[in-house]
Amino acid sequence: MPEVVAPVRATPALAVEGLTYAYPNSARAALREVSLQVGAGEFALLAGRSACGKSTLLRAACGLVPNFYGGEVAGAVRVAGVDAIEAGPAEVAGAVGYVAQDPETQVVSTTVAAEIGLPLEMRGEGPGPRARAVEEVALALAIPHLLERTVDTLSGGELQRVALAAALATRPSLVLLDEPTSQLDPVAGDELIWLLRRLNEEWGVAILLAEHRLERCLAAADRVVAMDAGAVAFDGRPTDFLAWAHTTDPALETPAAKLFSLAGISPLPTGVREARRTLEATHPLEAQTASAEAHEKARPDVPPQDTLHERAQPPGLPGFGRSSELRPGGVRRAGQSAALRTSDLWVELSAGEARRDVLREVELTIHRGERVALMGRNGAGKSTLLRAAAGLIDPVRGRIEAPGGIALLTQTPGDYLVRERVGDELPGEAGLAALRAVGLEDAVDSDPRDLSGGERQRLALAITLAGRTDGEAVPGLVALDEPTRGMDRARRGELVGAIESLAGRGAGIVVATHDVEFAAEFAERAILLGDGRVIADGPAAEILSGGWYFATEVARILDLAGVVTPAQGATALRERGTP
Amino acid sequence: MRSPFAYTPRPGVLQSASPGAAVAYLGALAAVAFFYSNPVVIAAVGAAAALAGALAGAGAAVRVAARMGLVLAALIVAVNGLVVGRGETVLARLGEWPVFGRVDVTAEALAAGAAIGLRAAVAMIAFGVYSACVDPDRVLRALRPLAGRSALTATLISRLVPVAAADAARLRDAARLRGPAAAPLGRAPLARRLLAGSLDRAVDVAATLELRGYGGRVPSRRERQRSRFDARLYVAAATVLAVAIAGKALGADGFSAYPSLEVELASPTVAVTALVVLSGLVPWRGGPRA
Repeated sequence: MPEVVAPVRATPALAVEGLTYAYPNSARAALREVSLQVGAGEFALLAGRSACGKSTLLRAACGLVPNFYGGEVAGAVRVAGVDAIEAGPAEVAGAVGYVAQDPETQVVSTTVAAEIGLPLEMRGEGPGPRARAVEEVALALAIPHLLERTVDTLSGGELQRVALAAALATRPSLVLLDEPTSQLDPVAGDELIWLLRRLNEEWGVAILLAEHRLERCLAAADRVVAMDAGAVAFDGRPTDFLAWAHTTDPALETPAAKLFSLAGISPLPTGVREARRTLEATHPLEAQTASAEAHEKARPDVPPQDTLHERAQPPGLPGFGRSSELRPGGVRRAGQSAALRTSDLWVELSAGEARRDVLREVELTIHRGERVALMGRNGAGKSTLLRAAAGLIDPVRGRIEAPGGIALLTQTPGDYLVRERVGDELPGEAGLAALRAVGLEDAVDSDPRDLSGGERQRLALAITLAGRTDGEAVPGLVALDEPTRGMDRARRGELVGAIESLAGRGAGIVVATHDVEFAAEFAERAILLGDGRVIADGPAAEILSGGWYFATEVARILDLAGVVTPAQGATALRERGTP
Repeated sequence: MRSPFAYTPRPGVLQSASPGAAVAYLGALAAVAFFYSNPVVIAAVGAAAALAGALAGAGAAVRVAARMGLVLAALIVAVNGLVVGRGETVLARLGEWPVFGRVDVTAEALAAGAAIGLRAAVAMIAFGVYSACVDPDRVLRALRPLAGRSALTATLISRLVPVAAADAARLRDAARLRGPAAAPLGRAPLARRLLAGSLDRAVDVAATLELRGYGGRVPSRRERQRSRFDARLYVAAATVLAVAIAGKALGADGFSAYPSLEVELASPTVAVTALVVLSGLVPWRGGPRA
């Protein structure tokens, strides 16, 4: 195991020694002999697959484990020199801040200002110092405009920032974050990571951040700790981590690292800037045209550039948002019937006491067999469009129809699982057909709680499909809303398989997602929503390489039209060859 | 959709005042409604509470509370009309009913029910204005040194209610989205699922409270955050109560429903009514001075 790089000062922000922990009534230890130190002012990234113990380690680092959750523990956890297991979360609250994945359950006050001030109030700070601290932390996180708002009017991204502000209000020496970007769009996610880096550099706050989307934060980290089955599997520099992941657990590789390893370029880059610098030396990027040609040769599914429909244009230009009749790649889907059709669609929802148009003048057609990624910032109208398609919301104007029926899986698959046996959720032949459609026919007698996260998601999808499948037939449209939240790369691969299988059987697939890398893997077409309008619609490879935020890491590195995945990028680089 | 009763920060007098002053003012109005039987005075209290709410920007809360209150009042009128057979003016003889016995609907019983219903509606309006205008965080902060554990419980509940409501809405949507061949969901399995989910949510919220330091020592120091409007509201509350007591002593509360309807409308009643209605203007903030 490579050595730890960051200097460990006299009193580390966090010191874990031989920590072994099992939750109550659990035979398996969630943490096994974990030892690590996070130095003062260090930015450490906690990586690993789902259920490898990242969240449990963070809970132990703030005293919630075992004081709040119970269970059996051995070993020691010290936060700024204080024994967290002995003292408990309330006592170490001044030294450590914790931000969990779900912002909904992280706010306990009515207004933002009260929420941020609450930890200080609990420490007995008076109104004056409290007001100053609230003001300063709000300025640091660029949220002073939110201070007088009530928390129930905030978006997910705003709520996550408020939770971070509350965690920082006491000026802790250590901040723990458990997948804080999982519910954020790429813009808000990137902003949050760089905000953390700035706080780390300017305030000297040590950061321990658990994340699945490593490409988003690896460049900001000083160090990576990778966990596997409750134990520390790697602890070292980000560059060393990439080499370790390449040989030991490729599911943890970032797209940039995968691009370089496929193209045979070293060293593996931690982020876009590093990758571009390396490529400037090895593969000059000026000759974009030549490279684009090379890549198009490498992608038989993408026709030459002149047949592709126009790239995303600003609103108001001819053809904008009206390109849905074009098949990705510019070819019409002749003979394929529509799975979803909207015409001058307007949907209005209440926002606080006011009402606002969430969807405006949306004109779309999605065909059967088409795989579509629906993207856009938080609040852009993605979920609303899917809910309107499923009949959960009525338009105020225009039409939306799914002629072949729709199966919609919303953001929380657990909401669909009510009974204790898979077969009880899906009885009879129709139920079995739905299970077969998602590859779960062997799980009829299982308890849904015993299934993996990915299997539970497929089961929920089967519940929405049940009775809408007829033999090998599937509904006209299968829609999924943010299905990769908190999902590791391996489970994402399973989902891509399920999507491809359903599309292959004739279902139109539309997935609302913030995950650009996932979109690049499954989608042939991408639709970008902005403030309720379609602002870009075209082949996924074009859309995901035609911007900055809604672009894959490979696209950001190479900046070549239509090159979005590591395999495509490696092909383009190989075509160009090493100078 | 956000409830109209949810607190919304605004620069109004009721929102800016300390919770004690706002509670004293609205509490004084509600107390008069319960202290008096005369429906004219009770209606005046309702008008004052509605006026106060409208001036504080909580018109939506007033409208919804009034609607709910009127529905409740109608129910009370109907029940009272069927259950109470007293009164001289018989409007309908409905014969023998299995549980009620002989049912005679009298104008007096309906009027008595209306007076009770009016009181309930007025109380709901006053509470609606309180809910929409008084910051619960400040109320809990004021309560914390007095009853730390109760404040903790109240905080937990106040956070869990909207979270549970959002969970319930999601579960209802998921139930509607089940395929036609999936096992149907009745209310009981959904309620069980919601309860189980709520327990998980409660654990998460409680964990957040622990991390905010709620599990530690409760600060013993009381904080007084005054507002320039406090004195106005305290004076208004004291005046309303004093006038109500004086009016009661002078016979302003004359009302009897049985055997025949009698409502006092003499000058003390008019004076109390006028003052109570005028007290609804207390939250008027006015514009900046020229």
